[in-house]
Amino acid sequence: MLKKNIINNLLRIVGEKNALTEEAELKSFSVDDVLPEIVLFPNEVEQVSEIMKLASKESLSVLPWGSGTKSALGNKPDRADIVLSTKNLDRIVEHGASDLVTTTQCGITLKKFQSILNKENQFLALDPPHVGRKATVGGIIAANDSGPERLRYGTAREFLIGLKVVSADGTIFKGGSKVVKNVAGYDLPKLYVGSLGTLGIIVEATFRLYPVPEYSETYLVSFPTLEDAHGAVMTLLNSDIVITSLEILNPELISSLAKRNDLDIKDDQYTLAIGIKNVEKAVKDQVSTVKTLCDQNGGKGKVISGVQEEKFWDDIRDFPWKLFKTTRVVCKASVLLTQIPQVLETLKRLSDENGIKTYISARAGNGILIISIKGEPSSMIESLNSLRAFVSSIGGHLIIQEAPCEIKAGVSVWGDFGSGLGIMKKIKFNFDPDNLLNPGRFIT
Amino acid sequence: MTTQHKSKSLSRKEKFRDRLIEIIGADGVISSDDELIAYECDALTGYRIKPIFVVLPNSAEEVSAVIKECYKENIPYVPRGAGTGLSGGALPTEEGIVISLSRMNKILDVDIPNQRVVVEPGVVNLWVTDAVSSSGYYYAPDPSSQIVCTIGGNVAENSGGVHCLKYGVTTNHVLGVEMVLPDGEIIEVGGKTLDHPGYDLTGLVVGSEGLLGVVTKVALKIINKPEAVKTLFASFDHIEDAGAAVSGITVRGVIPAGMEIMDSFCIRAVEEAVGAGYPVDAGAILLVELDGPTAEVEALLPIVEEVLKENNAIQIKVAKDAKERELLWKGRKNAFPAMGRISSDYYVQDGVIPRSKLAEVLGEIGELSKKYGLRVANVFHAGDGNLHPLVLYDSSKEGDLDKTLELSGEILQVCVDKGGSITGEHGVGHDKKRFLSLMFDEEDLDAMNLVRCAFDVKGLCNPGKLFPTPRTCVEPGMKPFKEHPLQKAGLGEMY
Repeated sequence: MLKKNIINNLLRIVGEKNALTEEAELKSFSVDDVLPEIVLFPNEVEQVSEIMKLASKESLSVLPWGSGTKSALGNKPDRADIVLSTKNLDRIVEHGASDLVTTTQCGITLKKFQSILNKENQFLALDPPHVGRKATVGGIIAANDSGPERLRYGTAREFLIGLKVVSADGTIFKGGSKVVKNVAGYDLPKLYVGSLGTLGIIVEATFRLYPVPEYSETYLVSFPTLEDAHGAVMTLLNSDIVITSLEILNPELISSLAKRNDLDIKDDQYTLAIGIKNVEKAVKDQVSTVKTLCDQNGGKGKVISGVQEEKFWDDIRDFPWKLFKTTRVVCKASVLLTQIPQVLETLKRLSDENGIKTYISARAGNGILIISIKGEPSSMIESLNSLRAFVSSIGGHLIIQEAPCEIKAGVSVWGDFGSGLGIMKKIKFNFDPDNLLNPGRFIT
Repeated sequence: MTTQHKSKSLSRKEKFRDRLIEIIGADGVISSDDELIAYECDALTGYRIKPIFVVLPNSAEEVSAVIKECYKENIPYVPRGAGTGLSGGALPTEEGIVISLSRMNKILDVDIPNQRVVVEPGVVNLWVTDAVSSSGYYYAPDPSSQIVCTIGGNVAENSGGVHCLKYGVTTNHVLGVEMVLPDGEIIEVGGKTLDHPGYDLTGLVVGSEGLLGVVTKVALKIINKPEAVKTLFASFDHIEDAGAAVSGITVRGVIPAGMEIMDSFCIRAVEEAVGAGYPVDAGAILLVELDGPTAEVEALLPIVEEVLKENNAIQIKVAKDAKERELLWKGRKNAFPAMGRISSDYYVQDGVIPRSKLAEVLGEIGELSKKYGLRVANVFHAGDGNLHPLVLYDSSKEGDLDKTLELSGEILQVCVDKGGSITGEHGVGHDKKRFLSLMFDEEDLDAMNLVRCAFDVKGLCNPGKLFPTPRTCVEPGMKPFKEHPLQKAGLGEMY
């Protein structure tokens, strides 16, 4: 229990109306069933700094929080005194529209951020899940979240050019700059992408932006066999077609999506979704080439556009969160793109052997597989461990993105951090010597 | 220094050399004065320090053994690629050695289907594209020195090039490295696959200017050659118009592969040197390269032409074939060497400004040039606002160099005042460390130092670079450096 005077001091920093202390209110801020003692919503960067100074002095653990959409990511926290939400830090600091650069406070939701940028016909080239559930820019950076369009644009590391951080001891510092090209000093923004709140509270970010593409179409095409589907993938990737997103959907997933989206497509085969965004003529030309190449490989499909296309990609971006609203087990495998079929086949075998059901959307051009599993907890644990063993044996990685505590108890969330772990621990220690920030959830 | 003291220090040096020879062999250790001269400086030749030895290791294991020896003996070292760096990043340290990676120059793995190439650090930038070109791929970062500069050096400096506006710089194309840490341990970070769990150490190491360790292997991403390429050339009476055109093009939603500007000094020098066909009476020229699917390039070309006309372009030409295109680029890529024809000495800066401020800043540089009575030539990556003002001076003239340095400093101050950076691709190194404080407060520099201390607590790896003032890992004023729990438990040693 936090001492009364500490609570009072925290309340004094943010004001009573910007804090929650009642158990009923705290419940929705629990992480893996660990309940915080207080939730704070600072309005100013300086307040974040004051909170961290106090936390540092009193050795209070702090869980940085955007909208909590990724609170299931990571190990169960060792302790959780304070949840520090950045959601009131939601102002755009500056938008140099003519420079395609913008600086924003990190509590802004991606949805709001994009809608402001869209007015200038620009956008932040990130299409992660949870946007409808108010995912914040800071949370997306901290979790290094992305979506199918990472094939074309990459992840946050490619366009986060500057940031401001409040460190564990309350110091405010910045890294990077506000211009698209800069090599002055260490590239601290990269360190913070995917650091899961363990190295400081990200309060401000500067991004490079892109112009919104004029037009979009998607070719949805199913193949008699996985081999045919992957053959088409390799042909497409080896061509000069500029593809925006390229997903292999397994039959279980496409059958769920087909129903929801009125797709009228074979729902028992591996399916490719090939999205192309560009000027209209370039889209039409390239989609026509894509169609020819896929159909030569035994594919049969249809072109979707407009609202139907948008809705389809919404579902892929938010897979599996939109599809499955209750208890979810979600993991992400990363392998070489030529190894994707091996992972898909392994998952099929594990499904048959362990009586689980797997839904898979594979970022075919990146070697990333988003996998959702349903089944008995013990079979899921067994399957996840077998899958990790396989993925590791071919040089890849598997992380658990979301799972109930009982699953996390049976499978390591992060797997092997590799030979860089020693340095990672030293970095964590130098930035947060008392292990206050997200203790236990990631690098400790 | 007494004779006795001197002989003692010599013998320590000799012992150290013998140890290095044991590790690498006699042909891999350079210790004679006349051979060491070649390693006194990089392409920033104004600063020179002679290293005590230069080692030429053949493998990560040899690098590790050398570094362990340095760690034991507290001898500083500087990693070096081809020595083309322009910020003195490979300038040796007093009483230190240079680790040249030139012998580690093998391409280890060309994996076309997975779009990856793994190389040793001494591999020359252009070799990567040469290795994959016949399969329709290339390695995107293309610094002007790409025929000699090495991937290891590119990683250290996070090198750019003329096409990074659209495709990004080195850090956007490096997926992982194997490196030797300052205590000699060999680690792998990142790799051919994406999304390794843990912090993005690869992202930290790229652009760290050789201060965090010695990279011994690099995994690179290669990309497909575009279907179509169109290069436009436009001439202007005034360089400010060329600058405004660049900003106008991106405002219209066009992101060319590259946009380059050269002013009248450069045009004349380049014409004399390589005859690229530039009009010698123009105030400035702008090169714009569009690439991508044919239909996209065709749709964007008229937009670019329109913007050029709106900004008072005199002549607009589209290269009609690959040969014409190459000639246009040849002029640009030879701009630096060509400057030797109009000035005995020049000093190059690397400031960055927001694109929209180009016209304004070019005007201010012109004013500064007048104020100091020194000519400033401008050739730069206009698309990403990365200026390369070349201050022309005469080193034989008393006081010219000092004035040059002062003028360059003022130019960097202008860049920072406009919200920019002191360096876009050359690095801070030795040359610009005094200017880093223009951009970063003490708190920011402290945070960077926390990173450095995680890697190199003894400060032996390329010391004296980047940071404006020397920073140790226990400096007063910083929060006390606590012992790592492992150390406390006696399980690990930090010093």
